[in-house]
Amino acid sequence: MKKLVTLVLAVAMILSVMVMPASAEVQKPEKITIFIDGTVVTEPNGQKQFEEKWEELSGIELEIIQPDHDAYYDVLQQQIASGDWPDVMILSSTYYANYANEGVLWDMTEAWENSKTKNSGRMKNENVLDGLKINGRLYGFADAAGGGCVTYIKKAWLDAVNMEAPTTWEEYAAVCDAFVNNDPDKDGVKDTYATAAAGFIGGEAPFINYLPEYYQDAYPSFYQNEEGVWVDGFTQPSMKAAMERLNEGYTKGWIDPTTLTNGTKDCRNKLSDDTIGIFTYWAGTWATNLKNLLINNNHDAELIALPPLEGAPGFFDRVPPVWAISSTCENPEGVFTYFIDTMLDGGDMQFLWTYGVEDVHYSYKAETIMPGTDKAVTYEQGVFHFRENLETPGTTYTKNHIDPVSSNAFFAEGYYDPKADIVLPENIASSDLFAANSRAAWIVPSTDEMSMYNGDLTTLKNGLIAKVAMGEMTYDEAMAEFSKQGQGWSDLIVNSLNAK
Amino acid sequence: MEATKTNVQRPRKPLNIFPYINGVLFVIICLIILVPIWKVLVDSFDLTTGYGMKLWPDHFGLDGYKTVLTNPSLVTPLMNSVITTLSGTILGLLLSTLGAYVLIQFDMPGRGLFAGILMFTMIFSGGMIPSYIVMRNLGLTNTLWVVILLPAINVYNLVLMRNFFEGIPTSLFESATLDGCTPMQIFYKIVLPLSKAALASIGLMFAVSYWNDYTNYKLYITKANLYNFQMKLRSMMMGSNLPTAVGSASENTVQNAAVIIAILPFMILYPFLQKYFVKGINIGAVKE
Amino acid sequence: MNSAVSYQPKKKPLLPRMKKYAGFYFMFIPVLAFLIIFHYLPMFGIYFSFTKYNIIKAPVWVGLKNFERLFAMPNFWQAFSNTIELSVIKLVLSTGMSVILSLLLNEMNNIYGKKLAQTIIYLPHFMSWVVTASVFQLILSPTTQGLVNSILMQLGIVDKGIYFLGNSATWEGAYYVINIWHDTGWGTIIFMATLTGIDPGIYEAASIDGAGRWKKMWYITMPSLANTIITVLILNLAKIMNLFESVFVLQNDAVMDVSQVLQTYVYYQTFNSGGIPDYGYTTAIGLFRSLVGMTLMLICNYASKKVRGRGIV
Repeated sequence: MKKLVTLVLAVAMILSVMVMPASAEVQKPEKITIFIDGTVVTEPNGQKQFEEKWEELSGIELEIIQPDHDAYYDVLQQQIASGDWPDVMILSSTYYANYANEGVLWDMTEAWENSKTKNSGRMKNENVLDGLKINGRLYGFADAAGGGCVTYIKKAWLDAVNMEAPTTWEEYAAVCDAFVNNDPDKDGVKDTYATAAAGFIGGEAPFINYLPEYYQDAYPSFYQNEEGVWVDGFTQPSMKAAMERLNEGYTKGWIDPTTLTNGTKDCRNKLSDDTIGIFTYWAGTWATNLKNLLINNNHDAELIALPPLEGAPGFFDRVPPVWAISSTCENPEGVFTYFIDTMLDGGDMQFLWTYGVEDVHYSYKAETIMPGTDKAVTYEQGVFHFRENLETPGTTYTKNHIDPVSSNAFFAEGYYDPKADIVLPENIASSDLFAANSRAAWIVPSTDEMSMYNGDLTTLKNGLIAKVAMGEMTYDEAMAEFSKQGQGWSDLIVNSLNAK
Repeated sequence: MEATKTNVQRPRKPLNIFPYINGVLFVIICLIILVPIWKVLVDSFDLTTGYGMKLWPDHFGLDGYKTVLTNPSLVTPLMNSVITTLSGTILGLLLSTLGAYVLIQFDMPGRGLFAGILMFTMIFSGGMIPSYIVMRNLGLTNTLWVVILLPAINVYNLVLMRNFFEGIPTSLFESATLDGCTPMQIFYKIVLPLSKAALASIGLMFAVSYWNDYTNYKLYITKANLYNFQMKLRSMMMGSNLPTAVGSASENTVQNAAVIIAILPFMILYPFLQKYFVKGINIGAVKE
Repeated sequence: MNSAVSYQPKKKPLLPRMKKYAGFYFMFIPVLAFLIIFHYLPMFGIYFSFTKYNIIKAPVWVGLKNFERLFAMPNFWQAFSNTIELSVIKLVLSTGMSVILSLLLNEMNNIYGKKLAQTIIYLPHFMSWVVTASVFQLILSPTTQGLVNSILMQLGIVDKGIYFLGNSATWEGAYYVINIWHDTGWGTIIFMATLTGIDPGIYEAASIDGAGRWKKMWYITMPSLANTIITVLILNLAKIMNLFESVFVLQNDAVMDVSQVLQTYVYYQTFNSGGIPDYGYTTAIGLFRSLVGMTLMLICNYASKKVRGRGIV
């Protein structure tokens, strides 16, 4: 009996080895179901045409499920709970890490290693994908970098106070002082602040991205140091300097007095109505958006993107959202090959994901965009241009899903990429500055201690940072308060992270 | 007519200043209420974008409204809103009045049980995911049925309705029963005509909740052609905060215009409902 | 449940009585059907409260662990008492203001003024909390751009702007004011409808007897409103622990000690956990909130029965 089993096993093994080369020839799926958020063209924006074009290029039926962008993760959770797992889904870094740990996602490490995209020689920044590895395995694919914030400063204000763009904290402080006291908007009234943010600290990782000049090398949450040991950045000495800088900035009026209650929109409005002159916000598309806001308000629109101050490390690059294949997918290799590996194919498919559908989102025809308005632009035959946004008339498209600037791969040699002709210089300048000065954000794993105490710990830390910044407390008082309750939670979490 | 009444009182109270104080008070109250709305209104007409309060727009323009209202993808959501609000309000009123009518039968065996069954659902719920699974198994997800049927049973409104019905004199029911009316006949011949104000106010509450609903749309519908007006306005208001958002310069103006447009339907509708809020309307019906 | 009717004369046998109400049972069927389909079928979800359920793997029975975890949260009791404090005061203030406003509206004789006033006071209800918060953050801001502070400074009451929403001492007051602004007008609808039910003849009779405006208001109008007021208060008690959005949009890092309510607390706990929400735990919190709401409601309904001889349903 045993012999028979062994024999059968042996035969099976031989057979499987023999079949292997055949199965390496990946079977083409007939239909792929994808679950996507609002970062891919929506239904009113010509999703149907996008779907048809994709099907035409691939010969595969595509089913798109796109819940409302705000409720994306609620609906995804419902879908996962009810057992209808889509073949492919877009995931944020938190969901990506947790779903990967729970076995929801298909391990694409080998598929990626052997993929056309990876081996095409067109990849821009492969470390983006390396950063997505969890214990050395890859479960998701990022088509672009995560992006982050850079600091913009108004050129007109610098000129008004006769100063250069600051490169050190001392210079930065001097510029702030001048922006508050020397009437940089030249209206004769002392009504300006240097900078504004929505809160002294951001609500989500990487937390410090909106006031980098003040935080510099400080990071108030958990991170892995050079030795690979997890630490709580809040207890590090760098945090003392950061909180004292915030306090100096707030009490001297550099930081807008309503920082605590500002929303991001309030800050953008303060930039556009000339209340503030320095603003840290997203690099890339937003450089153009901010410029347009200023033009619209009849203010000088030149914004200089500042590199990090001397001694400060680079801006944080967020962990990008990823495309992941579910572990229940019947033919994951096929889906990988025909869906994910084609997304950055350097040709028509990449063009579709980046710029959309011809004559829907963009066109080469001779035509006038937004005729009859003051935004009307006439293009000649053969010139690539984006068309008017179907959902928000009065604006044009700027991309489909993949940002042409932060895309992870170049188009193939000889394939026309209109990027250089259409993407505005400030967008490219800020993106390049960001790319040259950024550091990758961490994927922080979750532990039981973390989910139990980090809510209270974060609330405590944020409250202390705000109170020190506003001068209601000194750093030493804050740390005394912290060691009373927060230290215990912090130690528990650090230990649990290091034990993992 | 009202004025003659005060004239009757005058001889007794020669210095009746209350109406004037009351009037001034309401002017103040209305002004206080309007200040924050004014900020939104001014910003919706202002083509420049500022943070602070302004009395008038710096650079007046209708572009915000134009962008929202000329939006070609607005027609379907508007239709969906009208359909769901009308049918939902009618259905909601039907269920509330039926339930309330049963609840005022104080001697009915099992009344307490019914009340318990109702109240339990107001306090306890199965939660988001079980509700989704039930709706999916019933084939209601991605249909307008789910957004019409689900909010139609509203225990809060039903109990308020019961509270109104309770005020109808029982003698009316008794005499009608003696005249041989069935419960159903009493319901639509006596109870409903006597409850116009209640129907108008609770109907308004239903209509507003249907019109403003977005939670059910977000959770149960993933097809944009089934979204309602409110969902559409929200995506216009929220969408531009994404790091990769394509903001237009008039983004702020458009958002504020969307807020004002969301208020408008009920500002228009409300005056038509007001005739049901006149003093003594219910009792008048009894006397006729 | 039947103790309240014990004073009634001896009842007839059940079946004939039920037969008398056959029509009513029939009328309750649609209501019952809706309740079962939309509320009772999903109730199986309450089971998840006693499980560890990450949505992906089958739920694992953990008994009362989720509740233990909830009560073990370091600042649970502070969040709990904040919730009760904020929502009870808010409920009493908004309902009280609605009643006063309704009474004043009822006394208004100018029909056009009344219509206009009614239309205006409903408006805030149609503003979402996000928009409301952003406007009030501006109006209450400590700089000269803040309307309230600039008035106070002009009048010489303060010489430096007060950061109403950025300070634990003033946050609560500001929160109530904003809530009154947002909810009072809409709250009058139900009271105005009740007032229409009062027979004008009673007022006329009272006038002939020499009753003045205040007497009529106190002895005729108020008693007719009492039932509705109590119903509204008790119904809202059931939802007291659900307080979330209005607080969430108005709170900030410096005022957490007074503004952290149960729902925001749980939100931050989940958000900062680095994990995906455990559905069992979330459901357990929902069940706890329901139990608190039910307890409050039963107590008040019982008190209402004792005092007035009847409950709200």
